Amino acid sequence: MLPIDRYAYNNGLSTSHPAEKFAFSMVTLIICLSASDMITSLTVILTMAGVVVIRAGIPVGFYLKLMIVPMTFLVIGVITVAVSVGGTEAYFLYSFTVGAFTLGVTAGSLILAGNLFIKSLSAVSCLYFLSLTTPMVEIILVLKRLHVPTVIIELMSLIYRFIFVLMDTAGQMYTAQSSRLGYSSLSRGYSSISQLVTNLFVKAYRQADNLSVTLMSRCYKGDLSVLEPEYTVSKRNIMFIGVTDIAFIILSQLHGGNLF
Amino acid sequence: MKTIKRTSLLCGYLFALLLTIPKPAYAMHIMEGFLPAGWAAFWALVTLPFLVIGMRSINKMNAYNPRLKMLLGLVGAFVFVLSALKIPSVTGSSSHLTGVGLGAIMFGPTVMTILGTIVLLFQALLLAHGGLSTLGANAFAMAVAGPMVAYGVFKGAQKLGAPQWLSVFLGAGLGNLFTYIITSAQLALAFPAGQGGVMMSFTKFASVFAVTQIPLAVSEGLLTVLVLNLVSAYAKEELNQLQFNISSREAKL
Repeated sequence: MLPIDRYAYNNGLSTSHPAEKFAFSMVTLIICLSASDMITSLTVILTMAGVVVIRAGIPVGFYLKLMIVPMTFLVIGVITVAVSVGGTEAYFLYSFTVGAFTLGVTAGSLILAGNLFIKSLSAVSCLYFLSLTTPMVEIILVLKRLHVPTVIIELMSLIYRFIFVLMDTAGQMYTAQSSRLGYSSLSRGYSSISQLVTNLFVKAYRQADNLSVTLMSRCYKGDLSVLEPEYTVSKRNIMFIGVTDIAFIILSQLHGGNLF
Repeated sequence: MKTIKRTSLLCGYLFALLLTIPKPAYAMHIMEGFLPAGWAAFWALVTLPFLVIGMRSINKMNAYNPRLKMLLGLVGAFVFVLSALKIPSVTGSSSHLTGVGLGAIMFGPTVMTILGTIVLLFQALLLAHGGLSTLGANAFAMAVAGPMVAYGVFKGAQKLGAPQWLSVFLGAGLGNLFTYIITSAQLALAFPAGQGGVMMSFTKFASVFAVTQIPLAVSEGLLTVLVLNLVSAYAKEELNQLQFNISSREAKL
């Protein structure tokens, strides 16, 4: 089982209306991206972390570990944005020469990179709020309400359902192979993993066959219709979302963010 | 002067260290929030027509064969699990397949557009890998452009009379390389360099990520060859039925 998925089902906010959580995360994400202001981003990071840890009860350690996941891309990406190549030394704030190239940073590129770093992390914290508090089934429900086409919705539910079945199967095959030294060397590893993938494909195909037989015997005609659970709308949550997001907008305006 | 030299050496060392951290190298998804709002919206809009085309063709196929939806659901889950598998890599650290080439060759590029986009959304939400605002950009690279190149190269090489292993290797490897080039271009367009503009910035991003991505493309190509060899030896029946279900026009493997 995937840890994020486990927390999505077991957290302090799991009974709230999925549309509220979805709206909070999306609106805040849009504000972060379009404001592109360091102070706003920092406030968003702290707010989201607070809500996720205190209200939803996600362990701090796990949340911090999750924040490190995109770090490799982030650090490499930010350094690449900050460092310029070529030009004279006078152009740079700080530079050094390697062979024929002059590498350096300017004040402008440093500010851009720093802002990008914080902004990306704030966007990531919005994403984590959604994925840690809202199970995929509920997100799919919200997308359905937003009139995402039926094909996509049905495919999403099917794929989500079978990810775990196939992951279990793949995990068992991997254990069986590695307990027989299937991954003891590079070439063995390659041959083992390709056998695993082939078997997984056959299993998936058979599973699909079984599923369609099961559904046909229950009068399946091409549409999967399921009952939706009911959720109660909480005025308190909506108030909180409204006030917080308006506060973010005002904050970004005060700091000269380019929201409008 | 000496201190500057020393610090620059130290910086270079740390940077090299960062690149060689034995962390599983994933395919290059642009992380959440890295693209500015304008570019994120632009790439989402560019991807949209391809999604509409993919949806139309799935709907059309579905009208003839109601079993297809289950098959696509399972195939989608298969692609997701594929991208989560750790594979041994040439560089020593483990890496991850993208499944772009394998999916495109097995199931065709139109189907991969829809499935790939859904898989990217799930990767963002379940694995914290990629993002919602960057979904459009990532989908364009990995679910539209990558599969098209992989499929086109595979079919082209077959037509030119190349043996199957070579066409599969070229298709999967080049498909993977192309997604990384598209991603570098997307990053470069969003962050043009102060000197040298977009081209300079593209060179920067492409060369920094080449360290992880080129070995990845090679292992992806090799592995896809091995998998498709086994599939055509042991699961040809299933694959043929599946391809027949998806489109009767497509040539069988």
